[in-house]
Amino acid sequence: MDSPLPYRDTKPQGAADFYFAINATFDFVRRQYGAEGLVRYWEDLGRNYMLPVWQRWRRLGAEGIATYWRAFFDAEPGSEVEVIQEEAQVRLEVRRCPAIAHLRKHGRTIGADFCRHCYHISHAAAQQAGYAMRLKGGNGSCTQTFFPATGAEAPQDLNAITPC
Amino acid sequence: MLGCYDFCGHYEWTFEWLRQQGGEPMVRRYWEECIYRVSQHHATELIHTLGFDGMAKYWDHTLAEEGAAFIATRGPRVFRIDMTGCPSKGFLIENGLEQYHDYCDHCIGWIGPLMKEGGFVIDHEHNHRGQCWWEFREAGSAEPPSEPGAATPDDVRLSDDWPKGPIQRFERES
Repeated sequence: MDSPLPYRDTKPQGAADFYFAINATFDFVRRQYGAEGLVRYWEDLGRNYMLPVWQRWRRLGAEGIATYWRAFFDAEPGSEVEVIQEEAQVRLEVRRCPAIAHLRKHGRTIGADFCRHCYHISHAAAQQAGYAMRLKGGNGSCTQTFFPATGAEAPQDLNAITPC
Repeated sequence: MLGCYDFCGHYEWTFEWLRQQGGEPMVRRYWEECIYRVSQHHATELIHTLGFDGMAKYWDHTLAEEGAAFIATRGPRVFRIDMTGCPSKGFLIENGLEQYHDYCDHCIGWIGPLMKEGGFVIDHEHNHRGQCWWEFREAGSAEPPSEPGAATPDDVRLSDDWPKGPIQRFERES
């Protein structure tokens, strides 16, 4: 069977404390290479690390995008996310972001641009599959929309991504 | 979103990304400045405050949450971990992920400075197959690292798999 997730694990969900390292890594990369370097890191993740993900998206289209995100959030502890497929478009209604919730619960300082990683990584991956992604909201809840790219779509308004 | 289900995959990928940006010193700096001083601040608080009790609290929680196969052994002057199934290296092996040349180095990369600043020294070996052992003692301890099987019958060095990988040793590391 073609699993929606590229990697197998022995446990059904990831360890939430890893969100500490994800958040800290963004701050480290920003300190070393600036905001532009951080965006480059995120885009490299989307294009390179997520290669098996976007290859499946390219093969299966919206169905592949929707099944990926359902399986992904099932494996993220504490997430409350609805994945809605509407013909060629897929919309994620993130009602409770598991990362923000865990970081807040443990009093961690979250970078103001933390939520931008979702846009830069997912959009870079989506582009490889012929899609685009736009994000609205953030800081705990947001809407992410994946749709076929035409080249004429308006760019992401980064001010539409709520700072943390 | 960058998730925790495949954290070890993008964590390991990040080591190589950083190595390509700034060489090995940047990877070492990442482990010390980012992982030890920021991400694992909760480990530092426990271990620097409570010593061996803090080690037990930290690793009992984190290794259980990560799904590790391990045994922790407590002696009067030593805290020992035998890892028979490392969850993160196991995830990488199972999924064929290897961007950086030596993933296992990251543990000593952040635990080393944590223990040094907490007043402990480390004896440690890993076999790059998801198995390792650690002994933590107070700095200045004259007690040598244990011989295989002497500290616990669960000593990972007694397993048939132990010699199958290239073993890297750290003695009185901090």
